[in-house]
Amino acid sequence: MNISAIIFYAISALILGAAILAVTTLKIFRSAIWLLFSLVGVAALYFWMQVEFIAAIQIVVYVGGIVVLIIFSIFLTQQSGKEMPKPAKGKVIFSALAALSGIAFTINLINHYGFTNTSAAPFNANVHEIGMQMLSTTSHGFILPFEVVSMLLLAAMVGCIVIAMKPTESTSITLNKKEA
Amino acid sequence: MFLKEYISDVYNGVSSLLKGMRKTGYYFTHPKEIITEQYPDNRATLVMAERFKGEVVMPHDQNNEHACTGCTACELACPNGTIKVVTKFDITPEGKKKKAVDALVYRLELCTMCNLCVIACPSDAIKMAPNFEHSVFDRSKLTKILNKTGSKIREGIE
Amino acid sequence: MFSLEGITSTIQDWLFFKFNPTLALAIECVIVILLAIALFAALGLILVLMERKVAARIQIRLGPNRVGPGGIFQTAADTLKLIMKEGLTPDKADKFLFNLAPFIVMMVAMLLLAPIAFAKNFQIWDINIGVLYISAISSLSVIGILMAGWASNNKYSLLGAMRSGAQIVSYELSAGFAVLTIVVLTGSLQISEIVAAQQNGWWIFKGHIPAIIAFVLYIIAVTAETNRAPFDLAEAESELTAGFHTEYSGMKFALFFLAEYINIFIVCAIGATLFLGGWMPLHIGNWQGFNHIMDFIPSSIWFMGKTFFLIFLIMWFRWTFPRLRVDQLLNLEWKYLLPISLFNLLLVAVIAILGWHF
Repeated sequence: MNISAIIFYAISALILGAAILAVTTLKIFRSAIWLLFSLVGVAALYFWMQVEFIAAIQIVVYVGGIVVLIIFSIFLTQQSGKEMPKPAKGKVIFSALAALSGIAFTINLINHYGFTNTSAAPFNANVHEIGMQMLSTTSHGFILPFEVVSMLLLAAMVGCIVIAMKPTESTSITLNKKEA
Repeated sequence: MFLKEYISDVYNGVSSLLKGMRKTGYYFTHPKEIITEQYPDNRATLVMAERFKGEVVMPHDQNNEHACTGCTACELACPNGTIKVVTKFDITPEGKKKKAVDALVYRLELCTMCNLCVIACPSDAIKMAPNFEHSVFDRSKLTKILNKTGSKIREGIE
Repeated sequence: MFSLEGITSTIQDWLFFKFNPTLALAIECVIVILLAIALFAALGLILVLMERKVAARIQIRLGPNRVGPGGIFQTAADTLKLIMKEGLTPDKADKFLFNLAPFIVMMVAMLLLAPIAFAKNFQIWDINIGVLYISAISSLSVIGILMAGWASNNKYSLLGAMRSGAQIVSYELSAGFAVLTIVVLTGSLQISEIVAAQQNGWWIFKGHIPAIIAFVLYIIAVTAETNRAPFDLAEAESELTAGFHTEYSGMKFALFFLAEYINIFIVCAIGATLFLGGWMPLHIGNWQGFNHIMDFIPSSIWFMGKTFFLIFLIMWFRWTFPRLRVDQLLNLEWKYLLPISLFNLLLVAVIAILGWHF
């Protein structure tokens, strides 16, 4: 076993261990932190594979965005220093079964496909290439999904503004009229 | 117009911040402005402000004479009983009895340096001194008698 | 001429000559780690002293002047005191997270050190996504603060952590946009290429007014991101005692304190790299003689000089401006900085496409 394999297994162990702790701990904030470690581990795996851009995006999106959002919702709804009740036995068995079937499915897929050694050069993952691909209009370009996603984000933002906006006099009157 | 207001907002904000930074920058680049007194080191040359109120004293002139008539106005003016005037009766050469101060007892540990006694004094016999080194190991040392032993009232003060 | 580049290449040659490549790499790693820790310790001591001295001068005081000549050993004495203090843990705190939080904050600060170019060819890791890496990792530091706030089981800590989180998440945006303007001008995320692009002039001069606006926005945003006054709501003494690190004492408090200063150093180093040309000397057009004299100053001194200038600027802000309220803070970001930086980015894109910059 060479050094890079050792690093791979160490990172994988971190990801899996943190993930298991995230679902078994009874303190909700710790659960979020273990999830964070698991996601950071995935980012570390990307770094190890030398796809730095994906790794950085993983950290920005999941750690800087989603986990912070989760932590904020914990802050706003939970009390510090409190433990959650133990989950019911049926629930535990059901989720264990679901996880096991997922694992079985994945192993089956891996066995079916197998990992063969290739002599192909590793794909070019520098930022310039990714940017070109993202906005190219040729057959393998991603301009359409990119724009669709931006439309989705725009719709979400407009929705947020509408929800947060204070109804002015005139709009509230029209709303009342509609109700009547 | 909205945009004009917005731009003038930003401009005013930035310019007022810069104004503040100019002032602090001036202080940073001018060490002469530093007002720190390195107290125990510069004790010999330390100059206290004239209006600093550290304790009540009674000035005496070179003949060991003061201006206190023993009228107890300061005692009445004091809000927390810091000053106690002990009076006596002197016999004047004409054989008349005259009220005079025997001891003006001043308890520094009770004094709040409010200056009311100095204002109340009709003959300007007491004043505030800028001395602030009052710490002693024994509390009883803070009780002082302001008129010196053997002192008497100056001529011509009623 | 003295250069750090020569020293590093000599050490590397010697190591690879003496040991096999794996072992040599391991030894290099250890050396780099030790250097990073030494740099942290030195920076902590210097920056805290500098802050106190600058604060004193701005407030017409003398500042620390008793320990050593001019008070230069004051911070060393303070550190000694902090090491000897007991590290208390509150009774109902989440002990594991409480003890972990300062190390997370510190680790994030250490990770951020990797892509910074300290001098010519003197860089730990010249990663090809340099600037993105920095903004990604710096978003991790909020986790440590949130963790500290929650685990302390203290209302002040929790409030401080929430404020800090909201603040960092919002100001990351305009800091990111300010960085993007330079990325647009350079066309690369790599730190070494950004520095190389400024050989004939720093971006703040070459990029016209948009670069200057981006610089100002960057300085404001990173002041907020590092939780410094006038944006220090997360540890507002008069409202929250000490914010998220209220319950910390001894060396764990010292780690938070140190991390704050290291973060200031790092954001200022990034600012110097992006806008002021990193280790590039100041060159003015065709003044050959002047340029030659400037070249004689070592690149590490250029870099440190620029960084410390920016650090001084941030300290100047701290001791001049009063603290903002929470609503003012969010107004500033969402109503002023963000629209301006978006518009500015558009302007820079136009300039970059038309090639108007020098």
